[in-house]
Amino acid sequence: MNKIKSFFSTFLLIELLKGMALTGRYMFARKITVQFPEERTPLSPRFRGLHAQRRYPNGEERCIACKLCEAACPALAITIESAQREDGTRRTTRYDIDLTKCIFCGYCEEACPVDAIVETRVFDYHGEKRGDLYYTKDMLLAVGDKHEAQIARDRAADAKYR
Amino acid sequence: MTDTITLLQGFFGFTWPVVSNLAKIFAIIVPLLLGVAYLTYAERKIIGYMQVRIGPNRVGPKGWLQPIADGLKLFMKEIVIPAGASKGVFLLAPLLALGPALAAWAVVPFGPELMVANIDASLLYVMAITSMGVYGIVLAGWASNSKYSFLGGMRAAAQIVSYELAMGFALVGVLLAAQSLNLVEIVNGQQGGMFNWYWLPLFPLFIVYLIAGVAETNRAPFDVVEGESEIVGFHVEYSGFAFAIFFLAEYANMILVATMTSLLFLGGWNPPIEVAPFTWIPGFFWLFAKACFILFLFLWFRATFPRYRYDQIMRLGWKVFIPVTLVWLMVVAAAMQTPYGYLFH
Amino acid sequence: MLNIEIDGKQLTVEPGTTIIDAADAAGIYIPRFCYHKKLSVAANCRMCLVQVEKAPKPMPACATPVTDGMKVMTRSETALKAQKAVMEFLLVNHPLDCPICDQGGECQLQDLAVGYGMGNSRYAEEKRVVLNKNIGPLISTDMTRCIHCTRCVRFGQEIAGIMEMGQIGRGEHSEITTFIESSIGSELSGNIIDLCPVGALTSKPFRYSARGWELTTRPSISPHDGLGANLAVETKNNRVFRVLPRDNEEINECWLSDKDRFAYEGLNSPERLQRPMVKRYGEWRECDWPEALEAVAGGLKRVRTENGDAQIGALASPHATVEELYLLQKLMHGIGSGNVDHRLRQSDFSADANLQGAPWLGMAIAELEKLDSVLVVGSTLRADHPLLAHRLRQAVKRGAQLNLINPVDDDLLCNVANKAIVAPDAMVQALDQVRRALAGSESSPESTVLSPEMPYGTQHSIALAIAASLRQGERKAVLLGNLAQHHPRYAELHALAQQVAELAGAKLGFLGEAANSVGACLAGAVPGNDGMNAGKMVEDPRRAYILLGVEAELDSYNPARILAALQSAQLVVALSPYKHHALDYAHVLLPVAPFSETSGTFVSTEGRAQSFSAAVKPLGETRPAWKVLRVLGNLMELPGFDYESSEQVRAEALHGDLSAKLNNQLKAPVAKPVGAAAGGLQRIGEVPMYHADSIVRRATALQKTAAAGMPAATMNGETLDRAGVAEGTDVIVRQGAGSVVLKAVRDDRLPNDCVRVPAGHPATAMLGGMLDEIVVGRAG
Repeated sequence: MNKIKSFFSTFLLIELLKGMALTGRYMFARKITVQFPEERTPLSPRFRGLHAQRRYPNGEERCIACKLCEAACPALAITIESAQREDGTRRTTRYDIDLTKCIFCGYCEEACPVDAIVETRVFDYHGEKRGDLYYTKDMLLAVGDKHEAQIARDRAADAKYR
Repeated sequence: MTDTITLLQGFFGFTWPVVSNLAKIFAIIVPLLLGVAYLTYAERKIIGYMQVRIGPNRVGPKGWLQPIADGLKLFMKEIVIPAGASKGVFLLAPLLALGPALAAWAVVPFGPELMVANIDASLLYVMAITSMGVYGIVLAGWASNSKYSFLGGMRAAAQIVSYELAMGFALVGVLLAAQSLNLVEIVNGQQGGMFNWYWLPLFPLFIVYLIAGVAETNRAPFDVVEGESEIVGFHVEYSGFAFAIFFLAEYANMILVATMTSLLFLGGWNPPIEVAPFTWIPGFFWLFAKACFILFLFLWFRATFPRYRYDQIMRLGWKVFIPVTLVWLMVVAAAMQTPYGYLFH
Repeated sequence: MLNIEIDGKQLTVEPGTTIIDAADAAGIYIPRFCYHKKLSVAANCRMCLVQVEKAPKPMPACATPVTDGMKVMTRSETALKAQKAVMEFLLVNHPLDCPICDQGGECQLQDLAVGYGMGNSRYAEEKRVVLNKNIGPLISTDMTRCIHCTRCVRFGQEIAGIMEMGQIGRGEHSEITTFIESSIGSELSGNIIDLCPVGALTSKPFRYSARGWELTTRPSISPHDGLGANLAVETKNNRVFRVLPRDNEEINECWLSDKDRFAYEGLNSPERLQRPMVKRYGEWRECDWPEALEAVAGGLKRVRTENGDAQIGALASPHATVEELYLLQKLMHGIGSGNVDHRLRQSDFSADANLQGAPWLGMAIAELEKLDSVLVVGSTLRADHPLLAHRLRQAVKRGAQLNLINPVDDDLLCNVANKAIVAPDAMVQALDQVRRALAGSESSPESTVLSPEMPYGTQHSIALAIAASLRQGERKAVLLGNLAQHHPRYAELHALAQQVAELAGAKLGFLGEAANSVGACLAGAVPGNDGMNAGKMVEDPRRAYILLGVEAELDSYNPARILAALQSAQLVVALSPYKHHALDYAHVLLPVAPFSETSGTFVSTEGRAQSFSAAVKPLGETRPAWKVLRVLGNLMELPGFDYESSEQVRAEALHGDLSAKLNNQLKAPVAKPVGAAAGGLQRIGEVPMYHADSIVRRATALQKTAAAGMPAATMNGETLDRAGVAEGTDVIVRQGAGSVVLKAVRDDRLPNDCVRVPAGHPATAMLGGMLDEIVVGRAG
């Protein structure tokens, strides 16, 4: 009986019409397209976008060259060279993130004991030449300086879950 | 109107037949190509809407210039001819695909008097010409000298030939009903409102013709031939303008199939109800509206159905459509011999 | 044998074994900080507490000897509770600065805290802070991190022989410190970096530059002293970042001298030569290899045709590998000149004809520790052979008698039974005295008939005492140090030492000067038939010289003379990793790889051939010297230069039984009549520790140590008075035409009429022979 039923529902194109009814209905549904860049979807404070190097309020860079992010990075996108600065502190002489290698997993952020390397909400950046997405320490610090207020807000919002 | 024609006739003298025919051809092809362009736009918009998106809306107001931009892009791109390709055939193939799609329009009537050529067996002409389209596809696959194109071309040829049969049988039904091969007469045979159109008495044939038309034009869900992103088809080696011509051919074919369906099953230029406000509207717009409806169905199908597997396509063509049309043809032919034959006229 | 059980494992161990040793042997790990297999047991960290059946409290595994039937539980609840409690106490005052600590990632405390530490600290009070100490350019301190395991203190007392660090204060106020603010001066000080289980003592040159997990460890062999210490060269991005010891009980145990440990900085020196250089029309310019090698081959061919084959000489550094030295001598023999030598600091070659093999230590290095009596002749032992000195120190601690015949009386940090501190020239007499004392028995009158030329009355009794010391015991040795090998009367010293050794039934040994002193002899880098030795090549200048790794003015006995010889030459080819003083006298400079960038072999002073591979790629256009010499052989159209690997060269150079080719005995040890000591002042020109070879000279941190300080003219008070100069003033020191102004320093332990002016230092590179006559005058 079932066989006969299914034969007729196929043969008489009932299944297909049902499908078409569904798509037909959706044609009049409210559209969910977000008109980027005029409109933007809300982002979580944990959003993992472009990386930034942060500074302390006194202007001192946070990074202490512990290299935990480099070790944690599963894509080997981070390259660090370190040395003793004149004032005796441990600092990086080179801190590069190859964003073309980066998979934005956020492990670097998680590994950082001083919240120096963070991922910001910035995701609409681009490069025009090969190498434009190889971010050096200065570039990362500049990103951090530009978005510090937002970064700090995000860390504060997420603090109680960490 | 007649005055201007006489004036022009005088001006061109003995070249007038050439000029007038050229003018007619242009009058069909230019809107047709524009139609193709905006069909792509409609396709993207409608499928977008069905997928709860809004489709192209950035190029020009509401995205109206999108097809122009696409065409321009394709036009600017390089035509890469593979090193091992047979160059002449490779370039000829797209033209062989487009040519029939355009040539068929010669006999398509847009009104009782509105056509390039009114020939007696115009239906036969259409069938003959459209069958030529498969040449372009086979040649394209073969001339590319690539195993993927070749297999794609073979697949496409097999599919088109299979569905051509079912399509032909479906037309035999129309032929029986109209008792003429002339398209004008077929349309005239359907006068008297939508219940006099052939779609009702020949309903199974109408459905078969419609679906076979989708398959003939390699549209979803029968698009294994191209399967743009997943399956390599006969035109993998084509790029730029050569590819654009295949594209044009496909869409011109779509419009042709839609128009033919309207003419054969949906009463052509006849209004659906032959009463006052409807009869005021010129017949051409009825035909246009009907063709648009069929095209909309094409797009709707694409938005709804997943692609058939190749063996399913073959099964559907040979084991479902041909028996169905055969059975209904017998029913029609037999009924014609009975007093109820008028039901099919 | 005792039967015990650890963690349910039945073990049979010797009586007197501690639990921790038994567990280690059985592969059961007990956490520990203060325990170290080479150091005494302190049992002060308490980390190794384990539960012992029937013991009321957990016992420290490192200090508890096993007893028969003992049952030990290392992971029982009691043991774990005790270990965790100890860990919590250790972490009370340990700062949480692992991210900036150089020990991070290779820290015992960090590792064990993962296993035994708590997630959070219950300690809310203020942590203590301990001020950092500046203990010199090699070791950086972060004393707050110290957990008072006292390994560094015990290392100083027990291994380095000098207690430079100690613990003061009690309880929370205890601190590890140098008692008075001072640098650590021990030549083995770097080992406390390895010993420190936390980040309190870390390497200063390495500070903050890399993490342990980033570095690739490659095995290598020390290219410095004759010990042949096994190194672990740690690299990253084609650069050597640090050097650590590789355990080898037969050679360096788990130690490394500071020279071996910190000299790697020289490999990254800005003075590294990266491209070949050719001098054309008085101008140096960089060029590519084919051009440079063509220039060398062309120049050598010209000298051959114009002046004859014998006008070409080759001087090699004994720090070069066997392969390089072998190919150099093969090249020279192929050319038809036997003028090859590596003994640039030797001055007396008269015993060459009587040599029967390569001079070596005469025993295995580990045997030094088991000696009962030893006579060391002419050596700045701690500076030249830090770890051989350590072995002798251990022997003395065990009860051996160390006797010295030496021109200098540097502190050996152990008891010296008898020492004859005499002027270099008088060393021969002193040794002769010992020989005579040994020749006659106690009763024999001959022994008392001592040389009438004895300059110092005290020597008589010392010689007798040394002889007596050498008579007792079973395992004895006479060792000739660097100063003896450089001595102008080396042949006599050698002959006498051989006789003394024979008379005493002792082994005769040479403390190999350089990493490959023995290997150089085995590879044939000594004058061939009718070839000239290093001294002759300098005295009788050649037209062309090939210098392999030699910095002539620093690496030779008489810098003034060798410079004159090189400057008069028509062609000087210098193969060197560095752009050095050769710019003044050479014509072609070829950049060759130091040990870290080439494969090769060193034969240590005990005759052990140790091969190593490159740790990093050659810098710039530097090439391994063996390849350069091979190509040079091809360009000179000599046969047999078609090697594909350094192993092939090694196989050819060191075939057969090496030990058969090691021989310290002279064919006919003629005790020549011992002449009188020369009049005037004599220079004691030893090579300072950190100027011995080209790599260590460029190790910046080592150069900042006190031992690498500016050379001074050191004399005893009497000599100072006689020269008419006051202590601390500048004096002018003159040898031949060369003179230099140095600070006069008083050291009453030096013999009379001797001036100690180190060689091998740029400041004294214009002087003459290392142990020759010298003139001291008031400056200005």
